[in-house]
Amino acid sequence: MTTNTTPARGAEEPILRVENLTVEYRSEGFEPVAAVKNVSFSLRRGEFIGLVGESGSGKSTLGFALTRLAKPPATIVDGKILFHGSDIRTLDDEALRKQRRGGFAMVLQSGMNALNPVRTIRKHFHDIFRAHGHVEAGSFNARASELVRKVELPETVLDRYPGELSGGMRQRVSIALALSLEPELLVFDEPTTALDVLVQHAVMDTIRQLQASEGFTAILISHDLGIVLESTERVLVMHDGVVVEDGPSHQILDDPQAEYTRMLLSHYADPRAEEIHIPGFSTRGRSADAARAERATTSPRSDARAARRADASIVVEGVSKVYAPPRRGEAPVVAVDNVSFTLAPGESLALVGQSGSGKSTIAKLVTGAEKPSSGLVRFGDSNLSALRRRELRELRKNVQMVFQDPYAALNPLHTVEYTLLRPILNFTERRGEAARERMLELLETVGLTPAETFAQKLPHQLSGGQRQRVVIARALASDPQVLVADEPVSMLDVSLRAGVLGLLEDLREQWGVSMLYITHDLLSARLVTDRMMVLNSGRVVESGPTADVLRNPSDEYTIRLLDAVPNPARARETR
Amino acid sequence: MTSTTTTPVRARALRGTLRTIGRIAGTIWSNPRARIGVVLLALFIITATFAPWLAPYGASQDGFERSAGGSAAHWLGTTAAGEDVLSQIIWGARVSVFVGFAAGAIATVIAVLIGLSWGYSRGFGGDVVGFIVNLFLVIPGLPLMIVIASYLQNGGIVMIIAVIVVTGWAWGARVLRSQTQTLRSRDFVTAARFAGDSSFRIIFREILPNMTSLITGSFFGAATAAILAEAGLEFLGLGDPTTVSWGTMLFWAQNSNALLTGQWLLLFAPGLCIALLATSLTLINFGVDGISNPRLREGKGR
Repeated sequence: MTTNTTPARGAEEPILRVENLTVEYRSEGFEPVAAVKNVSFSLRRGEFIGLVGESGSGKSTLGFALTRLAKPPATIVDGKILFHGSDIRTLDDEALRKQRRGGFAMVLQSGMNALNPVRTIRKHFHDIFRAHGHVEAGSFNARASELVRKVELPETVLDRYPGELSGGMRQRVSIALALSLEPELLVFDEPTTALDVLVQHAVMDTIRQLQASEGFTAILISHDLGIVLESTERVLVMHDGVVVEDGPSHQILDDPQAEYTRMLLSHYADPRAEEIHIPGFSTRGRSADAARAERATTSPRSDARAARRADASIVVEGVSKVYAPPRRGEAPVVAVDNVSFTLAPGESLALVGQSGSGKSTIAKLVTGAEKPSSGLVRFGDSNLSALRRRELRELRKNVQMVFQDPYAALNPLHTVEYTLLRPILNFTERRGEAARERMLELLETVGLTPAETFAQKLPHQLSGGQRQRVVIARALASDPQVLVADEPVSMLDVSLRAGVLGLLEDLREQWGVSMLYITHDLLSARLVTDRMMVLNSGRVVESGPTADVLRNPSDEYTIRLLDAVPNPARARETR
Repeated sequence: MTSTTTTPVRARALRGTLRTIGRIAGTIWSNPRARIGVVLLALFIITATFAPWLAPYGASQDGFERSAGGSAAHWLGTTAAGEDVLSQIIWGARVSVFVGFAAGAIATVIAVLIGLSWGYSRGFGGDVVGFIVNLFLVIPGLPLMIVIASYLQNGGIVMIIAVIVVTGWAWGARVLRSQTQTLRSRDFVTAARFAGDSSFRIIFREILPNMTSLITGSFFGAATAAILAEAGLEFLGLGDPTTVSWGTMLFWAQNSNALLTGQWLLLFAPGLCIALLATSLTLINFGVDGISNPRLREGKGR
């Protein structure tokens, strides 16, 4: 390994060749599970490829195997991984350690949490330089500064501790650390998934520029076909451990061969488009939108709907929420700044913004979990800041919440039946068999049939989408008038999102439930909401009918949010 | 609620509980170290239960040759008062096992009740409980035990258990409280609040079952401490010296200068039994870690 700053592009010999690789998870007492099945591909020097698949497709397992980071119970049972023609499976630990410099490196999804909190960033760099001895002792600081500048961070971060940096900055640092070993092959495993939308966009830009300027070979692993198509030249689509499609990005975009790829692509759309077609949804166009809103707010379809109180609007008037300063002497944190809106019965309102914009705080205020510092939150004729315990219970009956993470929102030890019976017994008069019937009815409403079977299951026996349906069913059990949905699909795979969103949409139309939909995902907001409010640093910067706001954004912040939406179609324009 | 609908619900709940217990037992048994502990503990429990049939003589039956060495009639010899040592060891197992489990269980129940409610509640009440728990944590345990025990002179086994419980619950409460605080902010707890469940129900049906391994571990830890404390107190002569237990055997052996007369078995036998019983519980605790955290289950290549 001499120098790799100027690799000869397009050299004949592939830098990496994978032949018939099979990786199994082997745990004692269980049948081995093949996560990667008979995968073969090769990688030219300087190529930037994407590896796309939904959760459980084996993409990360493959990434870990390629960099010899796979740990038991993952076991490579068959196949070869040839890096510069030699099989890395046979490397011993010391050879592998040497190979880490100038060879292959990996940037992890949680790489930003991989920094040692009690050491400064500078020390992290020095540790690596010392371990591999490839930088002269005198130029440690110079090299560290150079690397930090490469990832577009100021040199001052070198003397900070990881805890003092934001998530995006930490992820940039971990990219710089990976680069410090001058790798020829760099594997990025979901490098931006844990980051905020706008930050995600910026970090991906940096990765793209670095790849072009440094000329390393890169593999980008992601669940988001949009991001991958925007960034890479070639894409491998994985499904159930098998590479179902391998082709140039533009071909995947224009002429996808595999059924699975077509399905993934069909779930992308530009939220700004005149009309939007997503499987499982009726076409969203201007006239259709208006008709839908009209239906949902005026014409009741079910008895439950007709029985609702007409005055059950949520009214937020000039509400601010100020938190005490995190440290003595600092300014107090203004989470929500003078926000007013009304959520009428049957209406669906999107709250959009990046994290820290105050949208989750508004959810807490509306559900009575927090009290506003000033201003008024009303539900019907009751003031939420002055509720007693019993009134709070009454509010909970009417205002329910759908949580973001379906893996955390269900107690792992309770069956679906237990989970759903609780609100029924607490909020309704039904007891015994009547309660059970209602529970089964709810399961059918959210599309978990046969209901009897699902009732007996424990959360770990359900998929993410099924769990989220249970969470929604639980929120519906008390027959609420308002649903507060906090990023209900952000933890789900693309193919499952449409189903859950469609369910929320149907519930609104049939039951007349009004919905406060909190998200950073503009496309899903377009699909399920009538009106939209864009929040930035606690203030409303823009509001109006969803389609109007998205199609003719007037605030610069809204435009930036729109630009950050990963979009395969835009990749075609920029290419 | 009509009885026709509650019966299947109850039956299901019972089946669920049995399944949980079975799963816990299975996990502990699958750990080799814990398996040794279980076998050891079972031996002691069997010995204690069947002492009247296993012991060749009565516990306090004297009149044999005094301070005799091992023989066919008295395998481990006799004490200075002319009692059979083997019989005393077998009978003494009853006291140690009983005190260990009783004091361990009571201390754990108190720790669970206080730890969970303390961890779940925010505000002034929590601070008061915190003050009391911290008070019990900073008071040196052994002197406190000695003071209480000598104050309640010769109270017997019940007194010993009470002393051990009073000095032993605070640590478990502290540990369970931290875990409760972690679980309290989980989404499923918030969700239960939204489902209208009472705090009581949230604590005992949502949070408590997620801490099974911690509570089991805390129980075995408390039982080990109780067994050692019981032996220690009786060795110091603070228990009722007329009961036969491993601790009082050590007490009498020390009183009769057993080491000087060459009767080391008098000290060694009960000492070894105490150590083995404590070890068996500690070994079981290795297996307990795996109950709620599958990553800690020991296996190949991990």
